[in-house]
Amino acid sequence: MPSREDILAHVRDVLHELFQVDPARVTPETHLYNDLEIDSIDAVDLIDRIRRYTGKKVSGEDFRSVRTIGDLLNVIERLLAK
Amino acid sequence: MAILRHELPGSASVVLRIDHFYWRWFGTAVGFGTFGLFGLLIGLTFFPLLWLAPLGAQRRHALGRRLVQGCFRTFVGLLHQLGVLSYDFRDVQRLGRPGQLILANHPSLMDVVFLIGFTPAAGCVVKSALWRNPFTAGVVRAAGYVRNAPTDAMIEGAAAALDAGQALIMFPEGTRSTPGAPLQFHRGAAAVALRAARFLTPVMIRVEPLTLTKHEPWFRIPPRRPHFALQVGEDLPLGDFQDGRPAPQASRALNDAMLAHYRQCLTQRAGAAGTAAPV
Repeated sequence: MPSREDILAHVRDVLHELFQVDPARVTPETHLYNDLEIDSIDAVDLIDRIRRYTGKKVSGEDFRSVRTIGDLLNVIERLLAK
Repeated sequence: MAILRHELPGSASVVLRIDHFYWRWFGTAVGFGTFGLFGLLIGLTFFPLLWLAPLGAQRRHALGRRLVQGCFRTFVGLLHQLGVLSYDFRDVQRLGRPGQLILANHPSLMDVVFLIGFTPAAGCVVKSALWRNPFTAGVVRAAGYVRNAPTDAMIEGAAAALDAGQALIMFPEGTRSTPGAPLQFHRGAAAVALRAARFLTPVMIRVEPLTLTKHEPWFRIPPRRPHFALQVGEDLPLGDFQDGRPAPQASRALNDAMLAHYRQCLTQRAGAAGTAAPV
């Protein structure tokens, strides 16, 4: 199982590829919408990538309460632990 | 905008009420009254029966969509016969291909009635509040329309409808236009198009004089008989945006292209009609 640091590194890669977000701006406190302007339509593409990364059945429901990168890491950890 | 106002607050201007104004008011009341009653009636009879019919969900929804199409087509015909409106729907035969995503601007309440009424068994992305409205809940469920929220479920639902071969209607503005404000699109329609559409077909709608806008009650009828001009455009080149770039970038680029196309077409058509541009 990858460490939280590994997961964060992957999230940084994905955000850079999909949205050209500078990896230095991505910390657990970063707010997806307020800081990175990633909205609910972008989130669908992001969730596609997380589905691929975790190899688990992932639904939008799992991400309903995600606001920050930290929240996102928590969800991914929970999915990986399933 | 060069649109005659029904009421000009504090103004001495005289606004002409022409084209049998009072008859049109009466016709509007009769038209909408009949439509509401009929809708309620079949909502309480036919749609529950359809629900009980021993058919798979897909065939049941397809039947429901055909029924809604028939009702809306009849409603347009009724309003036309009553002299409440005139219309002109050009190149309508381009609508109704399997996997076709149909986009339209949304100046008026009637837009969805025209598009559903004239597109064979079309699906539609509809605001989710209609699932809780007792007058509409039966219809939107029976037809298997796609709810517009939450976003991820909307995108998946719309993609599934297109994959199943429906022609699907979406209003990228998300809600009826604000008169006078610049046209704005949400990216949801572009995201759906890139995921699942086989054809992406724009429809330009112009209403002159404008009527049945957002927050405008049905009884505030325009001074002249409104004319609805609907033009089905050529398919937009979806493939240009499916060139391997990441999905969020592709959907932004497609959305920008869609918006530019609409702004250009609506400005040209407005210019041709000799009135102010709506954007």
